Formats: sequence, structure tokens, C-alpha cells
Amino acid sequence: MFGKKGKNVQPLPAKRRDEMPNVKEGLTFKQWKAKHAPTHKWRNKRWAVLILLNTLFWASFFFDISVLEGSLSGSRFFGIYLMDIFNSLQQILIGIRTGHFAMLTMNFFIGLGVIITFYFLVGGRTFCSWICPYHFLAENAEKLHNWLVKKKKIKEHNYAIGVKYIAFVMFLLLALLTKQLVFEDMNPVGIISRSIIYGPSVLLLWVLALLLFEIFHTKRFWCRYVCPMGVAYSAVGTITPTSVKFDLDKCGHCRDCQDVCLVPHELWFVKRGEATKEVHFTGADCTRCGLCVDTCYGGALKITVKGVEKLL
Amino acid sequence: MAKKNKEVTRRQFIRFGAMTAIGIGAIGAGAGYLSTKDTTNGENMLRPPGAIANDDFMYACIKCGLCVQICPIDAVKLADFTQGLSYGTPYLDVREQACDFSCGAMQCVETCPTAALDFIQFKVKGEEAITKYEQEHPNDHDFNIIAVQLPAMHAHTKMGVAVLNTDTCLAAKGKGLKGAPRDESCKGVYASPEDVKKGLSPYPVHEHIFDRPICNICVTDCPIGETAIIFENNLPKVLDGCTGCGVCTMICPTEGPSITIKKV
Repeated sequence: MFGKKGKNVQPLPAKRRDEMPNVKEGLTFKQWKAKHAPTHKWRNKRWAVLILLNTLFWASFFFDISVLEGSLSGSRFFGIYLMDIFNSLQQILIGIRTGHFAMLTMNFFIGLGVIITFYFLVGGRTFCSWICPYHFLAENAEKLHNWLVKKKKIKEHNYAIGVKYIAFVMFLLLALLTKQLVFEDMNPVGIISRSIIYGPSVLLLWVLALLLFEIFHTKRFWCRYVCPMGVAYSAVGTITPTSVKFDLDKCGHCRDCQDVCLVPHELWFVKRGEATKEVHFTGADCTRCGLCVDTCYGGALKITVKGVEKLL
Repeated sequence: MAKKNKEVTRRQFIRFGAMTAIGIGAIGAGAGYLSTKDTTNGENMLRPPGAIANDDFMYACIKCGLCVQICPIDAVKLADFTQGLSYGTPYLDVREQACDFSCGAMQCVETCPTAALDFIQFKVKGEEAITKYEQEHPNDHDFNIIAVQLPAMHAHTKMGVAVLNTDTCLAAKGKGLKGAPRDESCKGVYASPEDVKKGLSPYPVHEHIFDRPICNICVTDCPIGETAIIFENNLPKVLDGCTGCGVCTMICPTEGPSITIKKV
């Protein structure tokens, strides 16, 4: 679940020089990297999907076409309900306490079922990088942050990645105790989604404050350490057929993939002498964004669907 | 070396202190702002039909806005943060646009996935009405089910209740109404019961033209009818059947409506 190797598993011996992919091609490391220059294939696809979906939400209301109605907390796609997992979880917990649970509609459970099935199939935090509008802003804010760090204007601040599980439990407890969807009041995803669809809200200032904090202080503060929506999606996508497959044989251990990765701890196995198996798969925090796939010079990282790749 | 370390610590301390101060300041500013607004969690807001008790509504509503999207006359609006803690929840501003039941089947209620707008109660009322009709008309086998079901569902709605202000009411002053009740600044639309009989869909308030010696349009154009409001002793009189739909408030010709909806 935490994307880490098993405790008593010994890593494989580090690669010898003649096993490196550049040597196999008869090139120096620099030549090899220049030959397989990174692309933006996956990123472009992903941004297209993200922008298209959020535009579709807006267009469905603005032009009154019944394609994708509602917002990211709950919606209807061609009449099929879709429910956000964390929102539903709060709803169910408070509902059990107050008795409202019995009143929840069939559409609610169908919507939740559809979403859970979908994110089980695509795996991990796919929602984050492919749909979440806040991620889109934060992803670009992260680039700015990295540039500032590089220019030595600011320092990095990193915390334990497990903080988000504490936040997850805290938000659930808060909801249960106050009988309010406390998280939804401060959720930048919901705020941006509603602002896109129903017109801008004053609360966009809060989103702006979060982004500024992420740029000047803690990289990806909200997504990495707070957002319980992401935790909920990653929990559903822990055991999944779809993930990024790592092929040790093709890896040159340059670790450029970890530099572009939005959740670098998921790529722990790319460090020389860390991998315990010839093939690794990314874990639950991986957003399937494809940035590492675009970057990889040796083609060691690929988005794969288990079972399907054998058929093809 | 020791001095340098101390320096770093002091700098860190100042930075930490400044950040804490900014953080507390931001929270304080937010709380201060909210205290000037409606902090009652939207208890006084008019909700769409079928809304459950406000305390439950506040968690049951997931702020998806499906009810806002489905309303054909845009009566349901989404509250912003400027309206207080009920940010993102749906409400009605009946002076701007009342709910005239022209969607027919309580669509906002039916679309709500979390039963913050609870449809079951309407379903039950509709079925009761059908059973009752079947018992009373045993020989009528192909009656229009919808025509029997819908009025019962509409009558069950209780968004609020209309309250008359006799100080400003035109009828109370013995005045009549010629022309449109409101000018073009009012964007509201509705169809009166007579328009519905003619098969007309809702059209702007300022295109509804009246000629009444004594103004009684709130009575004649009430979508619920004589169980909700009647004209008695030259005054409109609100009865128990009032659903709080707000059509009377929307079409009231006086500046500052003489009939308003009080939440119940």
C-alpha cells in the first residue's frame, strides 16, 4: 500500500557496466540519453482529457446538454450517476449515526459502485492527474516551486508521506462529530469544479492561498499531505490491473523519472541497487500520469494493464 | 560555529512565528468575515421542494448542483460563501424566480442522489392519490395517472408559507392592477394555471398582462389554487395548503413584495 518493498527481501545485485542499456547499444550514457529524448505524449493526452472533462461539466450546464451534469462531488454521465468516494464515505458514516442512511437513493449506491469499479480498473490515484482540476494547477505550481528551489530562492520542506492517512481519519471523524461535510467546505477540488460550472466563488481565494503556499513553502502540500479524496481513490486502486510497469533490464538508473514524478516515492526501485525483482509495478499513490514513461530513455517504464498486454 | 547555529535557529524562529501569525490572521479574517454573514447554516434559506430538516440537509447535500442543473426555469440557485456557512447548497430566491411546478414531476427532488431532497415522500403521496382515485372511480380504467398523481405531489410540498403585509398590499388599499405586475428588470418566468390549461410553457413575468379592478393576481395565478390562497373580504387569505412556492412573491406588483415566504 505504501509502495515499498517487503522487509526481508534482499535487493538484486547492482548492474554491471556491460549490463547498462547504453553499453548494450554501444553508446556513451550522454549519447544514449540524447538519442532517446523525452516526449510529452502522455502529458498531452492527460491534459486533453482533464480539460475536456472539466469543459464538458461546464458545457453540460451552460448549453443545457445532458452529457455530464453535476460537479466533481456527484454527477451524472448520460444518465448514469457517479459519486465521489470520500464524499460518499462521509455521507454513509453520518447517515448511519443519524439514520439518514436508510433514505439514500439507489442512484447513490449505483454511482458509488460505478466509480469504485472504474478506479479499481484504472488503479491508484488516476483521478488526481487525469481529472482533478486542482491537480492541474498544482502540477504547474510544482514546476514553479522546483524552479525557485533550483534558483536557491527557497528551501524544500518535506514531511512524512503518511500524514495524509491521519488527515483522512481526522476529516472522517470531524464529519461524524459535527454532522457537517467539513472537508467539502475547504476542498479545493469541489470549489474549483463548482466555480467552473456555476460561476466563480469567493472561496477561490482559499485555493489561491493554497497554491501560493505550495509554490513558496511545501511542494504539493495539499495533494501529498492532506487530500483525503486522493487517499480514498488510492485505497480503491491499491489492487488493480493497471499500473506503471518497471523493467529493470532496460533501466539506466539515471533517475530522471523520479525528478519528474509527482509522487517520487512510488519509483523507489529505479535507484541503482534498490530493485528486488526484474519487474516492479507502481503502487497506490501512483497517479498513472505517464510523466516517467515520457521521460524514460530506455523504455523501462510502461503503463500496462495486466492480462491485456499478453493478449495484444 | 555555535554562533552560526544560533543565528539559523533565530531566523527559523522568526520565520515560524511570522507564518503562524499569518495563519492565525487568515483564520481570524475568515471567521470575522463569516460573523458578518448568515452563520445559522442557512436555516432561513428557502430550500427546493422536499428538503429535509436543515440540520440533516447540511450534511446530506453534497453540493453537486444536480438540482440546479435540472431546473427548467433556473429557480434553484447555489449559495456562495458570501451567504455564509451554507456554501454550495441550493436555495430559492422566490422574488427573482419562484418555483412554479412547471417541470411537472419535481425533477430537482427526483435527481438528488443523497435524498437531501427526499423523493420518497412524494412518491408515496402520488401513489396514495392514485389508490384513492381508483377507489372513488371504480369504472374509470384509463384515467390519466399523471394528472391524478402530480397535484397530490405538488400539494405535499412545504418549502415555506406565504405571509401577507396588509400595509402595502394593493388589494388592502382597494387598488387595481393594469398591465404587467413587474417591469423588465425581473427576469422571472412562470405559467399561471390558465396558461397551463392552454398548454403554454412558462414565460416572463413582464409579459403577463392583467386588468383587474382590485389586484388579486396572487390568488388567481397561484399554481396550487384554492387550497392555498383565496380572496376573502377584499384581501388575499393564505390557507394551510400553501406550499411556499413563491409565485405570489415573484409577481407581487408592489416595490418590496407585499406577500413574502416565511420558512417553516
